[in-house]
Amino acid sequence: MNPVLEEIYSTILPSAPFIIGAYALLWLVVLVYVFIIMRGLKKTEAQMGVLEEQLAELQEKYNG
Amino acid sequence: MAKEAKLPEAGQWPDRIAPWALLAGAILSTIGFLMAFLYAGPVNGAAVNGVEMIGGTMVSSKLLLSQKIFYFHMPVAIVSFIALAFAGYYSIRFLMTRQARFDTCAKVGMEIALVFVICTMVTGDLWTRFEWGVWWTWDPRLTTYLILMLVIIAYFVLRNAIDEPERRAAYAAVISIIALIDVPICYMVTRLIPSSIHPVVLREGGMTADMGMTVGVCMIGLLLVGFGLYRMRFRQVRLAQRMQAMKDQIED
Repeated sequence: MNPVLEEIYSTILPSAPFIIGAYALLWLVVLVYVFIIMRGLKKTEAQMGVLEEQLAELQEKYNG
Repeated sequence: MAKEAKLPEAGQWPDRIAPWALLAGAILSTIGFLMAFLYAGPVNGAAVNGVEMIGGTMVSSKLLLSQKIFYFHMPVAIVSFIALAFAGYYSIRFLMTRQARFDTCAKVGMEIALVFVICTMVTGDLWTRFEWGVWWTWDPRLTTYLILMLVIIAYFVLRNAIDEPERRAAYAAVISIIALIDVPICYMVTRLIPSSIHPVVLREGGMTADMGMTVGVCMIGLLLVGFGLYRMRFRQVRLAQRMQAMKDQIED
């Protein structure tokens, strides 16, 4: 390869993993946060189930 | 009688558009990423021994690919500042009204700020490693931003350490306001301390139109992602709070 071109492009390939890594890690951090939100939602849904059971018990007591 | 403060609530119009905002944000930032490589022109580095014609232009210096990190590094930093501004605003509202809802908004705002601060740190650090050859340096911008990150982490540590809700919210609000005070310091430090080695785009001749357009697309995309995440989290936290209140009522 032409030595001048070689020098012009010398930082392109070595820097590529850093750029791709930066972009991938950025989305990984966002995805981890989305996962935390989803886990919180799942926990709330489970609590909703417990609450429904408690309500049914209370209703039974009230009716019986 | 004093007018009662209108409280932010989940399930309103922002929540209906939040998933779409998140999707649009993901698409726009991906387009921005592609634009960084396919549309925005390369940035020149150190001069080389000679000149070559590349794509109809005479090139006499190294082409810097690492600069492409800037197109999403700067937008995530700006989104973190905006999230901190919102958290600070809600913290002030909490201190004025003592309404727990504002504390919830501030807490979610601080979470979003932390997510984007981590993104800024990660993207910036990878650029630093390649360009400066080190993982960390005590440059004024990096140092003030690290302090900002530590203040945000301290906010969550403090929240976990205090059980009494009103006291916890009041102390947390103060920390949130301290973090907000650090934002202009962090932003201006590279301008105030000329020895700073952190690049300042506007000081160094600004951006060309193609660069500005790429940053703009990434910025809008990441702002939408930030908004979508905020609303999703706020909705989930509010649901959990309402559930807890109902549970407490039944147990009583």
